[in-house]
Amino acid sequence: MVKAYRQEHVYKHPWERVSAASWRKFADPENKRILSHILEVDTLNRKLDTETGKLHTTRALTIHAPGPWFLHRIIGQDICHCVESTVVDGKSRSMQLTTKNISLQKFIEVEERIRYDPHPENPSAWTVCSQETSIRIKPLSALASMAEKVEQKCAEKFMQNSVKGREVMERICKYMEAESARI
Amino acid sequence: MGLLKKKDSTSARSSTSPCADLRNAYHNCFNKWYSEKFVKGQWDKEECVAEWKKYRDCLSENLDGKLLTRVLEVDGELNPTKQADSNKSG
Repeated sequence: MVKAYRQEHVYKHPWERVSAASWRKFADPENKRILSHILEVDTLNRKLDTETGKLHTTRALTIHAPGPWFLHRIIGQDICHCVESTVVDGKSRSMQLTTKNISLQKFIEVEERIRYDPHPENPSAWTVCSQETSIRIKPLSALASMAEKVEQKCAEKFMQNSVKGREVMERICKYMEAESARI
Repeated sequence: MGLLKKKDSTSARSSTSPCADLRNAYHNCFNKWYSEKFVKGQWDKEECVAEWKKYRDCLSENLDGKLLTRVLEVDGELNPTKQADSNKSG
């Protein structure tokens, strides 16, 4: 069972600002209240290719994900660790993030891909974000009947969080816009 | 909390990581470098090197080794270089 969801959003901010906001999304204390499901974000690896302008970063996200009671009972934890791999291509102005869970992989696999690219109609001022989320519940016999429900719940949660994430992104962009106007 | 070995305050929402200060110092430096230099095409030099080193040393002292191995394995699977190259050549 795999479910995939696509979303697109246009930010009326240049790619430089939007991609910078993406880095700050989980870190700013102001946003921690809204994105309270993100408990920790640690950078584990970074690599800059000084010739091509490609920046690779690996971060570990610790997420608080309380599920339905039966899931909690089976799994026995509500903390989930995820790996986020990011490539920023400074030359072509693209940012790609891939996030995957490393906890609970026996039960569920969630992969989220986000891209930030300059908007084709207004590449210097707008940014298009495309997001693809795929959720795969492992076909455990005991879980099979409720798996559908879990998938649905999980997808709903993801949607809610991505809306919150978008709000946060918009706010950081606005803040950065005001900041750059002051200089 | 997080990836760290100790599991004493799993319910706390605030960061309890012993590396939190070093992490903030590094992330602040990185964010500044990213918006002021990297996106403007100034990527010829690695910056925040000292901050990164201190933060990383702290992480490697405090991280749960098994989990870290998994993180790096999955990072390898995700292999973002491939995607980047297939989407935009050049």
